[in-house]
This record gives sequence, C-alpha cells and structure tokens, in this order.
Amino acid sequence: MLTQHKQLAQLQTRCQTPEEDMQSFRNFPAPSSSSGGVLWRMAHIVEENKLTLTHLAELEMIHAMENPNQGMWYTFQLLEPENDAQSVELTQFKQQFKCHLSELLRQMSVKIKKHTDEAVWIRIALGSSFSKPNHLKPTYVVHYLQTPYVFVRNLTSKLKPLLSQALTLATRHQGVKEANLSGRNLTSIRDLLMRQYQQVFPTKYRSPPEEEDQPVLNQHIEKEQGGVAAHRRHMAHQAFGDGMLPQLQSAVYMLDTKFRDPNNRTMTEREETFKCVVKFSSIDLLESLRSCASSGIASAPVTPLLSSIPLKGRNYFVVTDNTPGPSSQGHQTQN
Amino acid sequence: MDPLSESGMRTPHNGAVVQRRSKTRSYRQSYRSCLGTASRLGLTPALTARRLNASRRAAKPQNVADKVNPEHLALLVKAEWQLSYVTPLYQFRHTQLRSYSRQLAAFIVAEKQQGLAVEVSELHNSYRVSLSVVQGLTESEDDAETVLIQIHSKPMFARQDEPQRSVWSGWLTCVHGSPEYLRSLPKDFTCLPLFGSRGPEYLSRVVKSWFQKTFDCCFGSLEINHTSLQWFAALWTDCHSQSHIQHLRMLWTIPAAPPLQITYTVDHQDAWDLWNSVRKGPTAAVAEDAASIDLEEVTGFLQALKSHFYRHFRLDLSAGTLQQVSTAVGSAKSSGRIKMSNSRHVIATLTLLTECALLKMPI
Repeated sequence: MLTQHKQLAQLQTRCQTPEEDMQSFRNFPAPSSSSGGVLWRMAHIVEENKLTLTHLAELEMIHAMENPNQGMWYTFQLLEPENDAQSVELTQFKQQFKCHLSELLRQMSVKIKKHTDEAVWIRIALGSSFSKPNHLKPTYVVHYLQTPYVFVRNLTSKLKPLLSQALTLATRHQGVKEANLSGRNLTSIRDLLMRQYQQVFPTKYRSPPEEEDQPVLNQHIEKEQGGVAAHRRHMAHQAFGDGMLPQLQSAVYMLDTKFRDPNNRTMTEREETFKCVVKFSSIDLLESLRSCASSGIASAPVTPLLSSIPLKGRNYFVVTDNTPGPSSQGHQTQN
Repeated sequence: MDPLSESGMRTPHNGAVVQRRSKTRSYRQSYRSCLGTASRLGLTPALTARRLNASRRAAKPQNVADKVNPEHLALLVKAEWQLSYVTPLYQFRHTQLRSYSRQLAAFIVAEKQQGLAVEVSELHNSYRVSLSVVQGLTESEDDAETVLIQIHSKPMFARQDEPQRSVWSGWLTCVHGSPEYLRSLPKDFTCLPLFGSRGPEYLSRVVKSWFQKTFDCCFGSLEINHTSLQWFAALWTDCHSQSHIQHLRMLWTIPAAPPLQITYTVDHQDAWDLWNSVRKGPTAAVAEDAASIDLEEVTGFLQALKSHFYRHFRLDLSAGTLQQVSTAVGSAKSSGRIKMSNSRHVIATLTLLTECALLKMPI
C-alpha cells in the first residue's frame, strides 16, 4: 500500500503534457468490459491533471497487481529448460523479453514489474501497423522466475505465438505448452500448482483423532458410524488437503471410454466408446469435492480422476481407456 | 450395484414414501406438495386415482405445421416459457375472446393506475390485448382448444407511426388430458390446466389475477419434478431418429458445502444407442407405429447414465437433484421453465406437461 501511494505521488509531480497521446486514447470506442470502462472514466477525470497515457497504464497495472483475482487466468508450462535456465534473473529476463517481443511487433507497449512476492508481472498492450497500442484490453502475464509456470490473462490469438516465442527465449527453455489449469483466482491456481496449501500426506498409521468441534448428536449413531465417518474424513483430507483450499471454479473432463455395465450387454459389447463431457462447477470446487468425500456422496477412497485436480494441478482432463482390460480404476489421463 | 453398496452413506431409496394417510383435503395437499421440487419419488404411489402415466406413446413425428397456424407455432417454439397450473375455468367461452381482450386490456390499465375507473374504448393507445384460438394442437375431442394471449404496447413517448410490439405472451392449453377427469367436470367448466407465460413479471401477475377474478380459477406454480425430467430425457432422446438432438445435457446439483453443480453432456449417437439398448421389445427405429415407452425403460436409461458416471467418479448422482434436461429439441428446468425448440415434438412435450399440471391441481 505504501509503495502504491508513493508511486501515485510521483506520478502527480511528474506531469507531462503530450496531448496527442490522450487524444488517440480517447479516439478508441468506449469498451464494454468493466475494467476498460473504469479506465475510460479515469481518462475524463484526470485530463484536467494532465496525466498521460503512460501514467494511466501504470496505475492500471498497479491496480491489477494488487487485485489479481479477477478475470480468467490460463496456465502455461515451460518445457525443456536449457542448462542455464535456473540462473536467469530479473534484469536479464526483462531485457531479453522486451528485446525478443519488440523484434516481432512494432506497435506495442510492454511494462514489466516485480511484485513483492517475487512474481514478474508483464503488461502488454498491442497495436497494429496502423494504430497505436490498445490500452483498454491489455494482456497480463505473470511468471515466477526459476519455476516453469506462466499465468496469462486476456491473451489474444494474435499475441499467443509471439508471446510463447518471447517467453521461451527469455527464460532459456525450448517450448511452452498449455497446462490445462484455469481459474479466476490467480493466487489459488498458483498455490495449487506450487503446492502451497496444507496437505495431508498418506501415513501408514492413522493420525490421532481430530478434535470434535461438533457435539455428538446421538450416542448410538456415533458408536456405529463414528469410525467409518472418521475414516472417510481422513481419506477426503488426504486426497484434497487440510484447512483452506485454493479456490477453483470448475473442472472439465472429456470422457471417451467404453461403456461397461454387467447389466447391459448391448452397450458393453459395443465397439465405439461412449463420449461425454462432465463439468463440475462450484464457487469453491475443491471444498465441495472434499465435503462430498467426507459425507460419503463420493465413495472413499477418492477416485484418481478427482484427486488429480490437486495432485497434478490441473482442471481440464481428457480421459480414455488405454488398456482394453475391464478394470474400474484403470483409467489413464492424457497429458 | 456392488460399488454403490460400499459407499458409507446410503442415498435415499427411490421408492421410499413417507405420507400421512388421511382422506381429507389436507391429505391431498400433502400429496401434492410431495410432488414439488423436493421430491425424488421414482414412481408416484397409487394413492389416488390420478398419477403420472407409467407408460406413454413415443413421440410420433407430427406434421404440426399442417394443422397449426405457422405464426402461432413460431411463437411457441422461439421462447422459454414459465409454467403454471390452472384449475378449471368457470363459464369461459371461446366465442367471446374479443370481449375478453378488451376487458383484460382495461384491467391492465386499471391495475397500473391503481384502481381508477377507465373506459374500455380509451385504452387502445396504451395496451392492446389479443386472445386467439390456436387450433390443431390437440386431437382428442375432450380437450378444449388452446388459447393464446398476447399483449402489445408501445412506449409512452413513441411516435405515432411506430408499431406496437409484443411485450408479453402466454397460452392456456390442454393436450391429451385425462378423458375421465375431463368428462367428470360439470358442464360450465372448461379445463385448460397448463399455462405458459413469457414477459415481465408484473404483467403475468395482472393476467393471472384477471383470470382468477373473471373465471373463478386458481393459478399455481408448476415445478417439473424429477420423474417428469427423466421422461423428458427419454422422450427427447427417442426423438433422435427424427430430429437431431445434438447432445443430451443434464444438470445435477449435489448438496455439498458449498453446493456442487455437475453438467453431464452425452454425445447424441451414444445417447441414442444407450436408449435403444435399454428398450425392451421392438425398438422405435424398427417399428413404424410408435411403441409405448414404459417408466421402467426411462429409469433404466437414467440408471445406466448414472452408473457410467459412477464408474469414473465414484460419485452417486442419486445423492443430488436433477435440475435441468436439455437437447436441441427442447429444454426443461425443474423450476418450471420449458423451451420447445422443435415444432415437430411440441405435442408430445405439451402432453406430458398437461399431465403434470392436472396432477398438481388441487381439485
């Protein structure tokens, strides 16, 4: 917060007046998205203060960095690091990235900042050969140096191949691929990927019983069901984690497996696979799944399809049968 | 199923029924409330003479366009309707629709101005109501003809030559209603148990209260219960041989904390093959005249879909509620919203909905 105020104060003292910059910005049609609309109104308000476009872009970037849990973030993973990938540090990355990207694109505005939690934030506003950069719909890229993960928001199809190339070169890797994880909360998907949440590791011996925060309602039920319920809770926590979980909104499974049902011979003997798409959605998906497993709606042990979400850090899966043998647990997920 | 018995918590058995068995009207009320959204009865118990049919004819490809005015049909299929049930109307005459239109228009304006008396002839520039008969939707003699209600209006400060737009539409219908019930009604009553509306809520309320005052009837919200949604899934999948359904999509809500929503979309060809494998007797693809579909086949179909889901996720969908079923032919939501996207299957859909409405009526 303090740095933000300092930066704002600096902006106000450092007033410049290139009016044509502001004019070209105002020539863009008013955007429908809320963040672009805010920028639009700010342009009106601060014009008296003669703040320039760069100042506004800077302010917007500060705002985005302080409020990362907006919009839809998609994850990419860098592949095949070169020998010196681990030693890439900030100034080298900045220089290389800007250099590679500006080789490929003429009209664009790139800002790179380092956040307090060691993340590198990149704001890219694209123009075309005929127009200046469109600051109303910037693309944001977040990368943690020395990790292979890149998070992107608002990526356009035009920018995608160029961004991939610039990123791989600047971070000294050989390629980048989609990591099949998306969500609204940047902090959550980052925590999920980097395993920064409370996990329960499988133990051979049952851990000491947790404190009962709910009063025992019925002695008889507790006597019969108590052990089973505790076991279920333990399995659920083992699969999904303890305490607060990263917030995901949805998980999508593309199922392409054979239909196997002992009661239905026609479908079991069918050659083709049974294709369907299953989407789980919730305001806090992992919490919902954990509660399903604890309450028994999902049978324990939790199926690998569901526990892969936190385990592999992804929420988009393509499921096929790899082995022809009949086995209810024998599903392989494709990477 | 073996895997299901291993789950620590047993889901409520589909056939379980808990009801008070008294013969007074209050019993009827509780029976009716059992069929609301909270119900997961697979089979309605035979506690009254009326229940959802355990078997029905499969949807024939109807050339409805031949029998029904295409404009009316276009109106029916393009929108999503909110459903209600209506008790029989007293002294409703299909011949007096013009006069009803004027009365309703006057009532709307009066309601708007909160009770000030207005003459009927002065209303044309603010609201225009038209009630019309839609002939051809029903074939049986016992059914009353469908009535379509449309309210047109133009904004207060519009130009003179601007045409009036339709701001609200609704319809009252009875398609293949139970003949014993319809014949048992006294002479002056017209039974149009299904009411669909689309448009602003305040106009729906005004139209309903006018009907209630004029014809001494009662409106109530019609939720589409679990069994009916299953029927829709089966009937619409059955339509695949005539009209491409594109997919069968089901929306389930699981009572976790926070609630979990599961959207289960099945490819059209696979849904069709599964449906045919569940059918007993000659399949619809083979027999020319529509074979009848039993409730067992419907529940078997849904059970097969759930078991495929369980095999992968070990999560029993019966623990949740089915909220919505949709295909390219139509979509039905448990809150009582229906969309019929294909005119050839309108009659089959309305038949099922008429049955639901008749069952839900308190009389």
